[in-house]
Amino acid sequence: MALSVSLRSSVTPPELELVASEQLIEIIPLISMDKTAFISGAYGPLRPPAKCKLPIWMATNLKLKKKCHIVPPAWLNVDFLQDRLTRETSQPEFCAMPFRFAEIAKIILDVASDDVENPDKIRSLLKDLREARQAKSREGITKLDHSELSLPNLCSMEINEIRPFFIRSMGVLTQLTRDPAAAGDA
Amino acid sequence: MESETGEETKLQELIRHWMNERHAPDILPAQSTLLGRLLDHIRKQNETVQLLRADPDSSEEEHFRIMLAQTEIERVKFIVRSYVRTRLYKIEKYARFIVANPEIQERLSATELEHARRFAHLMESHFHRTVLQSLPARQRGLADEVPFTPPMILEPDKMRAVFAMARTQCPPVRLPDGSTSEMEKGQISLTPYYVIEQLLARDEVELV
Repeated sequence: MALSVSLRSSVTPPELELVASEQLIEIIPLISMDKTAFISGAYGPLRPPAKCKLPIWMATNLKLKKKCHIVPPAWLNVDFLQDRLTRETSQPEFCAMPFRFAEIAKIILDVASDDVENPDKIRSLLKDLREARQAKSREGITKLDHSELSLPNLCSMEINEIRPFFIRSMGVLTQLTRDPAAAGDA
Repeated sequence: MESETGEETKLQELIRHWMNERHAPDILPAQSTLLGRLLDHIRKQNETVQLLRADPDSSEEEHFRIMLAQTEIERVKFIVRSYVRTRLYKIEKYARFIVANPEIQERLSATELEHARRFAHLMESHFHRTVLQSLPARQRGLADEVPFTPPMILEPDKMRAVFAMARTQCPPVRLPDGSTSEMEKGQISLTPYYVIEQLLARDEVELV
């Protein structure tokens, strides 16, 4: 009752986006602003055209009002993503990606696609990357047992996708192993 | 890949506890001091914003500061509300179990405990007045233990699996299949809640 039904079973993508938006990103401001104290810390001063680091939610706010340009993070470019994609398709393990790359990439491509070079290519690379990693998560279910599963390099949004199914599967496996007669038949 | 510069701010700490509370099947210790400090901070920011808005000489730059401060206040209020609602949902779900167990009562604040007691009492008297008092005396119980059925008093399911990410090198823990696991910093693992319960209480892992 205190929590609506849609929130009870798992964390929602908008909530993950909220958490990801607290991270810092570089911007090129178009207005000036003195150093201001916010709840999460003091930011500024903004003196165009000097770059400055702000939380992503602040940067998106300013960008939507056309008061800044967002500098994409180092990993959001074609070369880096292409390299990761080739590694992803050639190795069986997950390659290292920033933990909240899906949320941050979505925010930046939605709000500031003009500040990113080649946004369509990046979108298609991200999509391919996502599909490659999803295929590996699906194979990971075969390694699931009742005690522990280690998932190196898996990212926030991907964990959220597999969460309901993996948790229930582990629950069923735990029940099966608690009852030795059933485990003997299986 | 991710650079965490120095320690986390109060807000980041609250976000971490909020996410832990959202994912954990059990009720975690209440962070009353942290909540109190952030609510104070919100109030102060609100007063500052009111002052700035009332001032007629605000320039356009001030306008942006006010807007950003207000947006941030709304964000923090949302996180605080969601945290409190998650705890409330779990408290109401396990109200009768809480009343019967002093160990879990230590993890609740005074107001939460009071609410749990009144809620449990309300539920019991409701069931009693609507149905149970018309039944024969032997079938009036709300705490019966019948073999092969789940218990009538719902308790938190510590066997439920959770995704845990280690924040530092963790001491070894015992897994259900008998082996031990020692998590390194940044390692993510899917495991039953009770395995990492102590690590979570010491802030060595976070739920993800």
